[in-house]
Amino acid sequence: MIEARDVSLVYGDGTEALKDVNLKIDKGDIVYITGHSGSGKTSLLKLFMGIEYPTKGQLKVLDLDIKKEEENNIRKMRRLIGPVFQEFKLIRGRTALENVMLGLRFLNLPHRKIKEESIIALEKVGLGHKRDSLVEHLSFGETQRVAIARAVVRKPAIILADEPTGNLDLDNALNIMELLTSFRDEDTAVIITTHATHLLEDIDEGKFIRVNQGQVTVESRGEA
Amino acid sequence: MKNFFSNLGYFLKEAKTIFRIDFLSNIFSIFSIGLIFFILSMVISGWWLSKEVVEVLQKEAEINIYFEEGLDNIRVNNLLENIKSIKGVREANLVDKEESYKRMEEILEKEARILELFDENPFQPFIEVKIDISEVDGILEDLEPLENIDYIRDNKDIIDKLEKIITILTIVGILVITATGISTLVVISHIIRQGIYNNRDQINTLKLLGAPDSFIGFPFLLEGLFLTVVGGILAFGLIFFTFRLGYKQIGTSLLFIPLPSMEGLVKAMAIFILILSGALGIIGSFFGLSSAKGN
Repeated sequence: MIEARDVSLVYGDGTEALKDVNLKIDKGDIVYITGHSGSGKTSLLKLFMGIEYPTKGQLKVLDLDIKKEEENNIRKMRRLIGPVFQEFKLIRGRTALENVMLGLRFLNLPHRKIKEESIIALEKVGLGHKRDSLVEHLSFGETQRVAIARAVVRKPAIILADEPTGNLDLDNALNIMELLTSFRDEDTAVIITTHATHLLEDIDEGKFIRVNQGQVTVESRGEA
Repeated sequence: MKNFFSNLGYFLKEAKTIFRIDFLSNIFSIFSIGLIFFILSMVISGWWLSKEVVEVLQKEAEINIYFEEGLDNIRVNNLLENIKSIKGVREANLVDKEESYKRMEEILEKEARILELFDENPFQPFIEVKIDISEVDGILEDLEPLENIDYIRDNKDIIDKLEKIITILTIVGILVITATGISTLVVISHIIRQGIYNNRDQINTLKLLGAPDSFIGFPFLLEGLFLTVVGGILAFGLIFFTFRLGYKQIGTSLLFIPLPSMEGLVKAMAIFILILSGALGIIGSFFGLSSAKGN
């Protein structure tokens, strides 16, 4: 699903965000990316989403080379990814349901199907009763769940969640981790970044990617 | 295409939401667009009206040919036929002494009593020739060799001035219409661009979710179309009242100006503004979208 070979990323201002990254993520993997703030976690996710292009090496996401020339195909590739952004990026002035439906709008599905799937997704994250609420009227935790529902509604090949536990207390953070990992199946990989390493101490299955000053080390636990 | 129709409701709703979010700014945009269309329409109407008036005056362009005194009827008729056969002559009629007298009476109105001071009719018969204004020089050349002509009152000065006015009006009209048209396009695309800028976060999110540009841009295109069409309707309302007032004023104080019918003009302007506002809305939105995409 994702394969990086000697991938480096240097920003326009000369900042070296990632150095010679080698990693492989397969179908059904559950991946935790950890590291301090500014270590390069978000840069790695930006590469996976095709928001940035490697300045060196080769990165393949869902069999697509992530490079400038593939810009149009990258846009299409993103339809197979369910992103949960750090700042959620929900659209104000629209209801929770409308925001979730947005994830399916341009996937050639009939309107009724889009609505049905979106309601199911909202119910899965425990927000079926709040579907008609405007997103700006929801609490922080509820907003986060709407963002997760929008990501999973399209049954993506990869769920990418950037710091989903940030600003949450321990219980809520664990709940969100549990919710996200519950969407993993044999066809869907779940990738979560977090700087809260203590949340991962008791997890005994998955790939653990540690990013430190742009360099990556990979450790596997359990079946993964 | 199937995807487009299934999302039509969404596009309309999104356009409505985008409009509602920037409500005040959009209302000002409608007024601005309305005023621009109003100015553009007034310029075009003024140009069209002037052309209509000039055309009517052109049709009235005439020269008067006075023939030698005592010329018998046969020769007068021969002269008349010769004049009719000249290229550029639209109509030629004999105006006899009595008709000349009657016309002067009509011109003088109350002052016509002055004519009673004459023992005999002092006017000469003449041939009244309606001409194609652009052929005036050729007509005068062709008249020169004809016999029995005593004097030609050709009104050349007036006709030349009329031709100059037509040329100036055409050039000024085209320039003003082009300038106003371009300004309209620039302002509309800027307004659309502003709307896109105000919704940049939403657009970025949609891009990250993999939405195609057509899906992202269509609600903005609809909004642009809505702004320009409503602006156009506003401009039409203003034009209707202005025309009504203008025609009333001209109709009562400047009766001699041959204006075309108001209904015709209003109808033409309504069709013109509707088509123009729709077209500029779409073109302006495309400009706005493509320039926003470039940034």
